[in-house]
Amino acid sequence: MSQDSPPVAVMQSVPPNSVGISLNACIKCNICVSYCPVSEVTDSFPGPKYAAPQSERFREFGYPYFQDAAGSNPPAPGRGRVPDASVDYCSGCRVCNEVCPTGVRIAEINARARARIVAAEGLSLRNRLLGRSDLLGRVGSVAPALANALLHHPLSRRLAAVLFGVAEKAPLPRWHNETFSRWLKRTRSRRLRSERKVVYFHGCATQHYEPFVGMAAVLVLEHLGYEVVVPPQSCCGLPLLSNGEFSAAETYHRRNVAQFADYVQAGYPILGASTSCTLTLKEEAPELLDLEGDEGTQALKRNTWDIFEWLRERENQGQLPADLGSLNNGQEPFILPYHAPCQLRAHRIGKPALDLLALIPGIDLRESHARCCGIAGTYGLKSEKYQIAMDVGAELFDFAAAQADTSDPAVQGAVSFTACDSETCRWQLEHGAGLPSRHPIELLAASYGLYDLQARQPLNEN
Amino acid sequence: MTDLLIIGAGLTGLFAACTAARAGLNVRVIAQGAGTTHWHAGTIDLLGYLPDGRQPVANWMQALGRLPPAHPYRLLGAASIANALDAFQQLAAAAGLPYERVAATIDPHRPSAPPQPTDREDDSRGHFTDIAPGRNGQLISPVGAGRPVFLAPQAQLAASLEDERPFLIIGFNGMTDFYPALIAENLRRQGRAARSAMLPLSRLTSRHDHNTIQLARLLDQPAAQEKLIEMVSDTAATGERIGLPAVLGLKTHTRLLAKLHQACSARDRRNTLPGPALQSPLSLFEIPTLPPSVPGMRLDASLRAQLTRLRVRVEIGMKVCGVRAAGRRIEWIETETGSRPLRHTARNYLLATGGILGGGIRGDRCGRVRETVFDLPLTAPQTRSQWLRPLFLDKRGHPVFQGGVPVDTRFRPLGRDGAPVYDNLWAAGSVLAHTDPIRERSREGIAISTGFAAAHSVAKGQ
Repeated sequence: MSQDSPPVAVMQSVPPNSVGISLNACIKCNICVSYCPVSEVTDSFPGPKYAAPQSERFREFGYPYFQDAAGSNPPAPGRGRVPDASVDYCSGCRVCNEVCPTGVRIAEINARARARIVAAEGLSLRNRLLGRSDLLGRVGSVAPALANALLHHPLSRRLAAVLFGVAEKAPLPRWHNETFSRWLKRTRSRRLRSERKVVYFHGCATQHYEPFVGMAAVLVLEHLGYEVVVPPQSCCGLPLLSNGEFSAAETYHRRNVAQFADYVQAGYPILGASTSCTLTLKEEAPELLDLEGDEGTQALKRNTWDIFEWLRERENQGQLPADLGSLNNGQEPFILPYHAPCQLRAHRIGKPALDLLALIPGIDLRESHARCCGIAGTYGLKSEKYQIAMDVGAELFDFAAAQADTSDPAVQGAVSFTACDSETCRWQLEHGAGLPSRHPIELLAASYGLYDLQARQPLNEN
Repeated sequence: MTDLLIIGAGLTGLFAACTAARAGLNVRVIAQGAGTTHWHAGTIDLLGYLPDGRQPVANWMQALGRLPPAHPYRLLGAASIANALDAFQQLAAAAGLPYERVAATIDPHRPSAPPQPTDREDDSRGHFTDIAPGRNGQLISPVGAGRPVFLAPQAQLAASLEDERPFLIIGFNGMTDFYPALIAENLRRQGRAARSAMLPLSRLTSRHDHNTIQLARLLDQPAAQEKLIEMVSDTAATGERIGLPAVLGLKTHTRLLAKLHQACSARDRRNTLPGPALQSPLSLFEIPTLPPSVPGMRLDASLRAQLTRLRVRVEIGMKVCGVRAAGRRIEWIETETGSRPLRHTARNYLLATGGILGGGIRGDRCGRVRETVFDLPLTAPQTRSQWLRPLFLDKRGHPVFQGGVPVDTRFRPLGRDGAPVYDNLWAAGSVLAHTDPIRERSREGIAISTGFAAAHSVAKGQ
């Protein structure tokens, strides 16, 4: 890079952090390269080893990488270099972190490099908008029918592609006619009151696009005898983090820390059905925003659970009601291809949904070993990355199709749904595999006889 | 409840998991990262060198008696090792990746040998004709040196140095870390007829550089295969056997090898005088490369596929951070997650975390060497000045690499008092004491035979 590159605003006071220091553990073994689903399908991304630990070492950001009893190396002068643009092609799926035998935080190193590009070069209007799922959701929810008609009209999709670079065919969600909060308000009289309480973090997708996932979660939690508290809350900030807008993400995160502080103090578990939101509260925001030392952030992290992670604990304690019923009246095995999204695997909690869905009578679970569906939040929505996302997802789409292959004698019975814990992955999976996809909590709610899996709404209430 | 929780997803852990699952146990595998199988040459090396030996071991069965008494092979005995290898060969064949003996099993110079059968296919198989069980063969290393190997995948067998045919070593301009001229020169120094050739990558792809995985993925595609076949058969002379870097595809390499062989034999037939058509032995082979190692990845993928069939879950990204023991039993272990530690409870635990390379053993700068999961007693020197001998390439190896977890004949780790530390903890693979698998060229043999034995010990106790 030339010496004439523009001066870069370097983040002030960068403390030693686990992300940066972890690059020293890289032994260049290339296992991340052999697993990276993105560099497999495109030359635009050079691969995790090259983009993260190898490049990071040569970037000047004033990070004190070497720290021991003798102290750390002095920060570089307040002028850094802009990382190579190819790092923006990292989808942030974290498969590299998962397979790394020495614990390098590769995806986080890439996310930080992207944030430095954004700090130096600014952000496109598209990425600014895609990062604000909360705002988009609220605007559309004012008049959902109109918003859907406008957004999903072929002409608008064409325009959005030409003007903003939002891929024409990418799977965009539809606003629901009732937000999750409004449903809670409307059904307030029917909600369970109990001494035992949990707090629910719904996230933007459940609030505006898929309130039924939140309904299924509430019904299951109430079935266990818990009152579900849903305090006012903000977006977790992940879309902003993955688009490199760290300061805006920090505003959101700090707001959430404040909004949940009393509940955290009272010891309520914070549950979420959106794996990427809960991952952000647990780990991504604290690490990427250097908030690991922040007390409120730590307390929120300690209290946050993926909903199935928490339900598995109840099962281990023998507190999960056993009245699970068959999902197709016991006619034949209910074949369910299940994909644990990379965002869930990044929690490192195993596959709790797989553990619990296995309790449903007559279910024939098929575990996907696909690395990633490709979408990675907002990545696959972008015109220049849409095809990459589809190529990455091919592995998963093929898996789903193989389970539904009626010409295969090993396949008995039809496959009606796939299951996946993350909303954007479900949309991508439906788009790529052509099968309706459900959150595992919807399947569990249906198995308890509380929820209509086909219509995606609670049974026996409206 | 899980009968056996295996910690480590290398060859040891995965093969032990297959063995235990086939013996009817409920098995789960967890590991911090993907196993080091991605670094393997893909061959099964049993015992290539004795701890103090300069000459390669000609027959590992006959050499066992010269190993230290506490060496894992001495604990097992030749018959147990042979059983484990048989089981491995069956499993690999079932997974579509057959392994065979490298050394000819019939010695034509011994008058007592049975007459040469007409069908060459049977030579390496029928055990009843085996006059030298345990005889190692010699393949060639990535720099052209002899490498003592016992079993090899089909794709590497034709490199055998017992074979007198001249070598043609082919590489690609633009592929990193593979030097045919060096390999050929080293072979000539050993008195072999050998030459080298470089093929232009530009005939296969528009990219200027490729690593092994990128090439292997390219060569899974029929169009690239056709071009390669054409280039190779144009380059090779009649009667030569052709060594290529191990990049002939991740999924379809056996088919590509067969096609290459067919093309070369067809050309040979055209070039030779008319006469009876001879069934020629395979004239092509792969030479393992630096990591990422495609033959290692194929082996890893085959074992994983078998485990999926056996319904054994393998969960990666899990680093052990806590252990609870009560008396002589491990009660649970905990792994790091994005938030709180995750508890794993099982009846038995198998430590298959590897040695220093795999991360099962770590040394710190003060000279302390620790087993990373259970902090078991190690035989390794605990003083830094005693870790290494002054000469890097000392034929006796280095004490720190020979250190590990001492075990009893059932593969239970031993305490300082010589008695098993826990009744439900087992250990196998490179983490074991009294062996230096990399130096001895026994890494895969140790992994397979001790993993097999430990899994059977667990099964017997159930």
